[in-house]
Amino acid sequence: MNAAVSLGIVALGILGVLVFATLGARRGEVDPQEFIVGGRSFGALFLWILLAGEIYTSFTFLGAAGWAYGKGAPAFYIMCYGTVAYAISYFLLPPIWKIGKERGLLTQADFFIERYGSPRLGLLVACVGFVFLVPYVTLQLSGLEILLRIAGYSTLDSTATVGIAFALMTAFVSLNGLRGTAWASVVKDVLVLAAVLFAGIALPIRFFGSPAGAIDRVLTLRPHWLTLANDLSTQGTTWFVSTVVLTSLGFFMWPQSFGATFSARDPKVLRKNAIFLPVYQLMVVFVYFAGFTALIVVPGLKGTAADQSFLLVVQRFYPPWVLGLVALAGCLAALVPASGQMLGAASLFAKNVLGDGFGIGTTDAGRVRSTRILIFVVGALALCWWLAARTSLVGLLLIGYSGVTQFFPGVVLALGARRPPAVAVGIGIVAGIIVVAIAAALGAPTVYGLNVGLFALLANVASTFVTSRVVAVARAPQAEPTPLR
Amino acid sequence: MQRYALAAIPVAMLTFGIPFANRIEPRVFGLPFLLAWIVVWILLTPAFLALVERGETTP
Repeated sequence: MNAAVSLGIVALGILGVLVFATLGARRGEVDPQEFIVGGRSFGALFLWILLAGEIYTSFTFLGAAGWAYGKGAPAFYIMCYGTVAYAISYFLLPPIWKIGKERGLLTQADFFIERYGSPRLGLLVACVGFVFLVPYVTLQLSGLEILLRIAGYSTLDSTATVGIAFALMTAFVSLNGLRGTAWASVVKDVLVLAAVLFAGIALPIRFFGSPAGAIDRVLTLRPHWLTLANDLSTQGTTWFVSTVVLTSLGFFMWPQSFGATFSARDPKVLRKNAIFLPVYQLMVVFVYFAGFTALIVVPGLKGTAADQSFLLVVQRFYPPWVLGLVALAGCLAALVPASGQMLGAASLFAKNVLGDGFGIGTTDAGRVRSTRILIFVVGALALCWWLAARTSLVGLLLIGYSGVTQFFPGVVLALGARRPPAVAVGIGIVAGIIVVAIAAALGAPTVYGLNVGLFALLANVASTFVTSRVVAVARAPQAEPTPLR
Repeated sequence: MQRYALAAIPVAMLTFGIPFANRIEPRVFGLPFLLAWIVVWILLTPAFLALVERGETTP
């Protein structure tokens, strides 16, 4: 009975959002400009909502609470990196938008092709972007699976819930496109905000009298939980700073976030967004409070189970309709970003790999068709990952970040007047990815307390520099023959 | 150059400033000092970026 009420609310809510989004999305258009970059017409408010929709995901909702529960202060990195990323985006995004507008670019790989004059580099960027989006989609899938399982009071097993989650995700994005995603995002943001305020304020008040009371209890129980280890340990201050630096550089390197930049109406919109989006990060504080409350009320969850922490509190101490509403908010927080990510990965692969690389589906209609098929491929890959390896939500995100951050040097260098040759940028990206892969194989997230992604970035920059010197030396004799004396 | 410096202030506080703010006391509105430090600098970031923007529109 309980499960019927809460799952019923979730189902009705998702259906309602689908209808609302479909009405807003002006169905029936198959123009890729419309489907992928929303006709390049989004104003500040709409883009703000779209970006927030892609950025505040089930990760913010469950993962941040999970880390507050399982690790404590290291979770604070989540608030910092977003804010730092927006400050960087103030300077970085307007020039990218300008180039996109002038050249009619649709994807991140287009940008690399245009700036470095190399279709092969575009192919590489598209493949790397595609591959590292998979763990991000897996993150949303795991989030959905957790939400459905808890909302169902464990009447559904995890095979059933992950199947439903997969079906929901692919159906949601296939029906919506980008404009639909932005509309769905409006509903999602209101619900998520309400759920987060409930979890972060009402939960601590119920158990400890006030949110500050939760902090007191945590400090009594674990005096070191809310500060970082002051050394080079796996999640000490060095890790914190290096992770914030790394992930803030990578923030707008996600193919779908980079692509969302192109949907802005003008660069002023992007600057306004950079100024106001940091405020959104404050929401995360309430998620921490929910995690801390769960730490005291339902202690003992180990490993990836920590991601369920505050949902279990709601399940145990509140009526099913409250759980249903919270789970609905969480499901939308997974579905909306997942559709942006799946659409981003699929359109990137359809245009830059299948279309430009192999000449498959080069017409507008053909591209939209292959995008629609690839959406299922991305979903299936995410499902395989989920089946093969159970990783915590934050863990999945950090893997993806260490990958996409490798685009950062190439993007920044692309904006300068003196650009390195395409081969140097390509070798840099490959070198960075190799370091990421080695670290993942060895299972070493930190070296000397530093986030290993930073070493990958260094390898990337160094290889780019060395290769461009080598190319310059090799080309010099042909370009400027040394005069004979 | 000046506008980069202005934007760099909150960025530095939320990255390299963190090890120096890594403490519980003094508590601010019940928050441990580290979390309060992060919250305050997040609130100040829009102000700094707005200053940068104003500098661009009125040279």
